[in-house]
Amino acid sequence: MKRIGVDVGGTFTDLIYVDDESGTVLVHKLPTTPDDPSQGTVQGIRELTEEAGEAPSSLDQVFHGTTIATNIVIEHNGARVGLITTEGYRDILHIARHKKPLNFSNYQDLPWQRYPIVRRRDRLTVPERVSRDGTVLVPLDEEAARAQVRKLKEAGVDAVAVCFLFSFLNAEHEQRVAEIVRDEFPEAFLSVSSEVLPQYREYERFSTVCLNAYVGPKVATYVGRLEQELHELGLRTHVHLMTSASGVATPEAAVQRPVNLLMSGPVAGVVGGIWAGKQAGYGNVITLDVGGTSADIGLAQEGRLRMKHLLDTRVGPYQAMIPMVDVDTIGAGGGSIAYVDQGGIFRVGPRSAGADPGPAAYDRGGTEATATDAMVNLGWLQPEAFLGGGMTLRADLARRAFEEGPAKALGMSVEEASMGAVQILTHSMVQSIEENSVRKGYDPRDFALVAEGGAGPLFAAQIALEVGTPHVLVPPYPGVTAAMGLLATDMVYEEVATAYQRLSSLDQPALEELFDRLEEKVRTQLAEDGVAPDQVVVHRIADCRYLGQGYELRVDVPAGPVDHPWEERVRADFHDIHEREYSRRFEESDIEIPNVRVRGVGLMPPLETSEVEHGGESPDAALRDEGEAWFHVGGTLQQVPTRSYDRAALKAGNRLAGPAIVNQYDTTTVIPPGMTAHVDRFGNIVIEVAASAEAKALAAALGAVASETV
Amino acid sequence: MSVTEYEVGKHPGPPTRPRVEVDPITLRVLGGAFHAIAKEMAGVLFRMSYSSIIRESEDLGAGIFDAEGRELCESDSTPMHIGSLPWYIRGFLHRLGDDVEEGDVIVHNHPYLGASHSPDVAVAVPIFHEGELLGWAAVTAHVLDVGGSFPGINADAFDVYAEAKLYNGLRWYRRGELNTDVDRMIFDNVRTETMNRGDMNAMLAACQLGRERFLRLVQRYGDDVVMSAAYDWMDYSERMLRAEIEKIPDGEYGPIVGWLDDDARNRDVRLRVETKVVVKGDRITIDLTGSNPEVPTGFNVPFEGSLLVGAYYAVRTILLDEVTFPEHVPQNDGVFRPVDVIAPKGTIFNPNFPRACFSRFTQVQRVVDNTILALAEALPDKVTAGNSAGIHFCAYSGFDESAGEYWLYLEVNEGSYGGRHGKDAMDSVDNLMANTRNNPIEELDMRFPMRCDQYELRPEPAAPGKWRGGIGIIRRNRFLVDGVYSCEGDRQTDAPMGIFGGWDGLVASCRRNPDTLRQELLHAKVTGVPFAAGEFIEFREPNAAGYGDPLDRDPALVREDVLDDFTTIELARDAYGVVFADEQSLEIDDGATAALRAELRERPRFTSLTDYYAERGLPPSSSPSSLAGNREFGID
Repeated sequence: MKRIGVDVGGTFTDLIYVDDESGTVLVHKLPTTPDDPSQGTVQGIRELTEEAGEAPSSLDQVFHGTTIATNIVIEHNGARVGLITTEGYRDILHIARHKKPLNFSNYQDLPWQRYPIVRRRDRLTVPERVSRDGTVLVPLDEEAARAQVRKLKEAGVDAVAVCFLFSFLNAEHEQRVAEIVRDEFPEAFLSVSSEVLPQYREYERFSTVCLNAYVGPKVATYVGRLEQELHELGLRTHVHLMTSASGVATPEAAVQRPVNLLMSGPVAGVVGGIWAGKQAGYGNVITLDVGGTSADIGLAQEGRLRMKHLLDTRVGPYQAMIPMVDVDTIGAGGGSIAYVDQGGIFRVGPRSAGADPGPAAYDRGGTEATATDAMVNLGWLQPEAFLGGGMTLRADLARRAFEEGPAKALGMSVEEASMGAVQILTHSMVQSIEENSVRKGYDPRDFALVAEGGAGPLFAAQIALEVGTPHVLVPPYPGVTAAMGLLATDMVYEEVATAYQRLSSLDQPALEELFDRLEEKVRTQLAEDGVAPDQVVVHRIADCRYLGQGYELRVDVPAGPVDHPWEERVRADFHDIHEREYSRRFEESDIEIPNVRVRGVGLMPPLETSEVEHGGESPDAALRDEGEAWFHVGGTLQQVPTRSYDRAALKAGNRLAGPAIVNQYDTTTVIPPGMTAHVDRFGNIVIEVAASAEAKALAAALGAVASETV
Repeated sequence: MSVTEYEVGKHPGPPTRPRVEVDPITLRVLGGAFHAIAKEMAGVLFRMSYSSIIRESEDLGAGIFDAEGRELCESDSTPMHIGSLPWYIRGFLHRLGDDVEEGDVIVHNHPYLGASHSPDVAVAVPIFHEGELLGWAAVTAHVLDVGGSFPGINADAFDVYAEAKLYNGLRWYRRGELNTDVDRMIFDNVRTETMNRGDMNAMLAACQLGRERFLRLVQRYGDDVVMSAAYDWMDYSERMLRAEIEKIPDGEYGPIVGWLDDDARNRDVRLRVETKVVVKGDRITIDLTGSNPEVPTGFNVPFEGSLLVGAYYAVRTILLDEVTFPEHVPQNDGVFRPVDVIAPKGTIFNPNFPRACFSRFTQVQRVVDNTILALAEALPDKVTAGNSAGIHFCAYSGFDESAGEYWLYLEVNEGSYGGRHGKDAMDSVDNLMANTRNNPIEELDMRFPMRCDQYELRPEPAAPGKWRGGIGIIRRNRFLVDGVYSCEGDRQTDAPMGIFGGWDGLVASCRRNPDTLRQELLHAKVTGVPFAAGEFIEFREPNAAGYGDPLDRDPALVREDVLDDFTTIELARDAYGVVFADEQSLEIDDGATAALRAELRERPRFTSLTDYYAERGLPPSSSPSSLAGNREFGID
């Protein structure tokens, strides 16, 4: 198969081309075209296929990860949405959960009121009400519904959401109104709660369904245009899009449920990290993707993604109760600003100098000290080697920013303050990693840290040391790991339905039928995508909780008949999962299953990359400079001789001894003193974090300032 | 044991543990770690717990404290809990003295020994390190029932013994072993045993987790470094708050006088809340002298666990607002230190033992509201106009024959905020010290023999102002079986106060079976009222007050408000002086608007939405599901 993965980020559009037969792998990077991201995408595909010497028509697959839906929400420039909802409950979206984001603030805004997805004037009600058992308490007034739809049309909304109470138990009223919308206002983007998200908790459901409508028209336009332009380019296959759950959406599915694309970008980074880990022989990975302003952190055990708890799934300030890979984003990156506040506390981030003005060393008008400046001061970032020599950093400005900023305020040397800034930022990332690993019962010693993004490999070794992961993996092209992830993923569809069953009084045939129905759905979809039946794997999942609890945990359940052994197995597994999550189990308690899910996986050919040329242990052929850089050695911060290497010239089998710095176009890798690294046969740099006694001594020395937080 | 010898409100003074210097980076790292521990404790508690008041509403607090109860960190849950645990700890230590051992688990809720009020039960676990009691991992949470005279809420109780079972430093576990008889005593004497047990297990798990996490910090960094960092952060927060207090000119501000509806028994006798703010240098005093004498019901306020918490909250929120103040200042013992509170003994804010004090929330809210209003002239860009500053906190219950237990549903009906300098208010939100989450309607309907028939913004418009006030909610709940209703509410007679020319807001109301032949007005505070299957209740929560003269509001914003039904065409004219060319286009007639505004400035105007509606009567508001329910149960 000939495949392309395209990841459109905020700054760069990254592409990767793979020919599974010939083993060709090509990567490409070009600036994102924010006004119409499809331009950059199409241009990139054209350039990359040219480079491969293939016509676009020869491509079998194009996988796409995009931040378009996320950006619509963050920039708040989505569609004008009209809502038809149950009379008497007009303001579910306005009241939300009646809780303020902040405790100690009278001047905060409630985002759902200050920047509503649907303005109140566009929230119209109709008489109808379904009861808790799915029976009809108030019949739908169809004429009223028709009048309200017309009103919305007249008002000029772009999209219509239909959200009624208890529609997850009885969808008739919603479906009838949807028909009326199609009839009266066919050009409107339509989002119906019983179709998009048939689950209980009305605010979260309404919010998700309205977000779907909010991003819908633009996503539809974008996907449509992309398909069109790719078609004109000669592509004969459809583009597939990565979902927040690391599933794959067809263009039609993406347009129907664009809300599922909200985390498309960061998720691809995690999937790419998992793939990179597997290829290098590490099934358990923590992925760390650090850019200019933020860091995305993910974790996978045995190569399996973890999903977020459904009530933690937010995009910006809005609740989006959709399955999402557990990826954490924190405000820590190369541009994070280091400063001392008026109370004397040393802080770094979350404020960032961004790309403009950028760090002081960029000489674009920035004067505040940033993490990037700190690394210049420490000699980790070499001014003349930055961006493969494409941009020269001003070391004097980096120095001045620290001199006049944190160093002065703290009465420290520039190097001490710079190291402090790096450590504080490192600490934020360590903390986030620990929240997602140690605190969930995963032992970091069983994991490798995969460094991605422009700044990931700068921080990774120190983070690994503090978190306790024994290895850091720096893939050949850390910047395009997310694009790789797109090609490394299988085709996954997930369907969900409300069940409301108790294990003690299970209606076995009903549950089995529900699972079968969902399974049928995903199998049909995969067949439509051309996946052969023998390449389809289906997983069944039950959301479980102790009877009386309000929050569920996902439990993988056996396929086949829902019978007594099935019950026993689910019961035992749920107790274990609950104990791992909350450190307690309640054996005597009944277990409730509010929802069931089916995940259909269409297996894709494994992504294979070619091996790099083998060299000896000596990396001297790649040596470019012998200078000095600042590190903690023997408990004190000092300047030590440090070699720097050119990544492109490294060969498999080369061994590097820290302190060392490896430069490449899109990133810089730092190997601290006492650590060693080698280049594996795929060109990955593998840093052995805890391999040497010296490294352990270093860890002990860092103990006083480092940050195992829990 | 007599509690009267306990010295109320006594701070332990500066910490005496020897301190070491902590480098700035470790300090920063440990600060983040403290915060993370508290957050994680709270997360475990609400995820694991059973009752909706904890798991959906998050009516809880969790944190780490030193041996004498100084707060190191506390979770970002609801502010009413934040800062009460230090007093719980001092309270139960009065009972236990030095008799605390590794593996003990302490349960406490005594309102005259530090508790916030008796249903907010604390679970605390000591943290020992090399034989030294370093501190406490502790949580509070609102449990459904504590075995008082009535299920759930006891606004009208004879004394503190009638409002609840009192847990005075009970050792639920002793040296790691369950104290079986104590356990039975606790759970055999509440109406909702299953729920309480599930919740208290979750509380214990949260404490154990907090203890474990804290000890790992101690092992990593050493006890001296960790404790010194904790005290450094307290000093930091104290320093930040003092610097802000110092910016306020010395002087007395206020007094502001507000009125509470009644004491839950003696109707039509309003209760006075008088609040004066005194600033001297870097100290601030909230003085409640002149407030009402204590009452014979449960409507008194525990001084330590509730009133002090309210005063600390008010000062911190005004001066270190998390949005407008540039730095994040952690909530810890430091922010309590610059604040003094005066409440004469024998007033509702410092009652004599054994007065009942179950229902204290709305009084504390009014102290916060008064404090904000008192500082309006001095800090116009940091205050809000009068807030709803009350809630209707209700208990719906009944006996479930099949379970052999009560069902009990607690609900917080939210209000709204007053207008602010340069921006409109927040609508329909838990306000000031309340920051719980509402219970989903679909959750309520499916779990309890009840139905929510209406829940939306109330039909009356926002209180006019240059920056409009917030709008409260209307809610209708129906009993589907016979049951009992209790409520502690307020603000049905005294409207939120407008400032700088903004209108006063609209009072709350509470009606039983409205718009039927069985209609009845209800007092805000009632205890144990029987409801027959099919009967229902309607709340309308206050619309808070406006900020600044409505004639100064941008007419374009008034037009937007009309489009969103936040105000009406009539009020646009009467209060804002905005005239539309016609009611369809709603185009602003600039000439007519200027003329009307000039005219309105010259003549006496309404200044209160409550007065405005006193003439007109509240507009009707119902829902098809409410009407269907009436038919279903034959309520005409």
